[in-house]
Amino acid sequence: MIEDLFEIERLAYGDSPVHRLDARVKIVIAFGAIIALVAYPVHGSVYLFAGVMGALLVALLLASRVPLRTFLLRVGAILPFGLSILVFQVLFPPVAFASPTVLLALPLGVEITAEALAKAAMIGVRFVLCIGFIVLLSSTTRLQDLLTGARRLGFPSEFTLILGMMARYLFVFGQMFVRVMNALATRCFDPLDRSLPYGYRLRQTGYTIGTMFLRSYEQGERTYTAMLCRGYGRDAYLFVPKKPLSRGDWTVLAACMAVVCVGPVAVFLFSTLPG
Amino acid sequence: MHIPDSFIPISQGAVYWLIALVFIALSLRWIRNEMSEEKVPLVAVLAAGVFALQAFNIPVTMGTSGHLVGGALVAIVLGSPFAAVFVLSLVLIVQGVLFGDGGITTMGANIVNMGVIGGFVGYYAYHGLLSVTKNMFASAAGAAWLACIVPALAAALELWVAGTFPLEAGLAGMGLYHALIGVVEAGITAVVLGLIANTRPDILEHAEGVPA
Repeated sequence: MIEDLFEIERLAYGDSPVHRLDARVKIVIAFGAIIALVAYPVHGSVYLFAGVMGALLVALLLASRVPLRTFLLRVGAILPFGLSILVFQVLFPPVAFASPTVLLALPLGVEITAEALAKAAMIGVRFVLCIGFIVLLSSTTRLQDLLTGARRLGFPSEFTLILGMMARYLFVFGQMFVRVMNALATRCFDPLDRSLPYGYRLRQTGYTIGTMFLRSYEQGERTYTAMLCRGYGRDAYLFVPKKPLSRGDWTVLAACMAVVCVGPVAVFLFSTLPG
Repeated sequence: MHIPDSFIPISQGAVYWLIALVFIALSLRWIRNEMSEEKVPLVAVLAAGVFALQAFNIPVTMGTSGHLVGGALVAIVLGSPFAAVFVLSLVLIVQGVLFGDGGITTMGANIVNMGVIGGFVGYYAYHGLLSVTKNMFASAAGAAWLACIVPALAAALELWVAGTFPLEAGLAGMGLYHALIGVVEAGITAVVLGLIANTRPDILEHAEGVPA
């Protein structure tokens, strides 16, 4: 996973109206959209609401000029675990339906019902859109801007300071990971190669991981000492200068938050009110 | 076992977030008080390293692969379950916000499962087993196995409470799958701990049971 970090950061260094938005605006929109999606009840009208949010996502995606293929690949990489939960849910419904319509009867009494499929699809739609918003956020916002934005939004200084330090070393260890993988490949070692004895593979992988652990620990020791030399102490504080949002930022924020806040209420009322 | 967004209702997600925040605050206090001086930067850099070592594929039988979570390892090496809470919270925040792996509304639940439950189970299982077996490697392996399977069962239980996962089939499926991965994770953790005991015995908090 860590090797994708460089590609994500390269995308985030692009230039587009969405890239130029203040990080605070993008964080609020992405998190707001996710909360709205999760909070929307599992109800037939979820598709209409998903359409509204999907339109917002597509509009932002087009404005951001993030390559569609990269975007879809990144979303697709995250899907398997959620999909496996959905499949499980269809095969073994957690809640018994009143009068299930059996579509397919499998051996051992497992039945696929239309109701279970419909519920899984409704959860799945929300799930995919949530990932879409997060991927768009990290593809258009640099890591450092995300941290500054979080700090300006009132995230505690202790935490942004630590996350900032971690973020900086993510790239160091990302490169280290790539180098280690190359070194293993040049020696034709693949931990998943079944022609090698299992114990040997396990031991070698363990040593590789252990070395990584020690190297990061020792890097931590060096960083800590170096920071002490530069005056780091108990009262260290991440200072971020205030920066007012521009008029354009406010406009985009207001427009998107209007969709995020008014959208769910309007769709729900529209689809449940009789007549 | 990163629970994604939309699988846990927002109200339950908020409860897990509250529990997670309490433990994050406690772990921050632990670093300030218990670790010698102000070693916050060390733990922050180590968190980046743990993120990287989670990227290594480890061989599980039958062609599948898994990866190390490392909660038990961090708790054992740094000598406190709070170390695991802290490191894994940082890792999960980065995974959730940057990669979308694990959700935003479910991040609290993920921190509770992998950081809090994994860390505490790993740490106390290690010390319980150590006092019985007096063997560091066997105890570390046992602790790592438990720290893999118990959080998975907790995740299955949370999903069942949320109404998006069956109870018996879910516990059996998640339990069996992670019991299998746990065996490999146990082996790797024992090897890693052996390597650390050989090369840097000074960083191990509790070095008892290390063969001379």
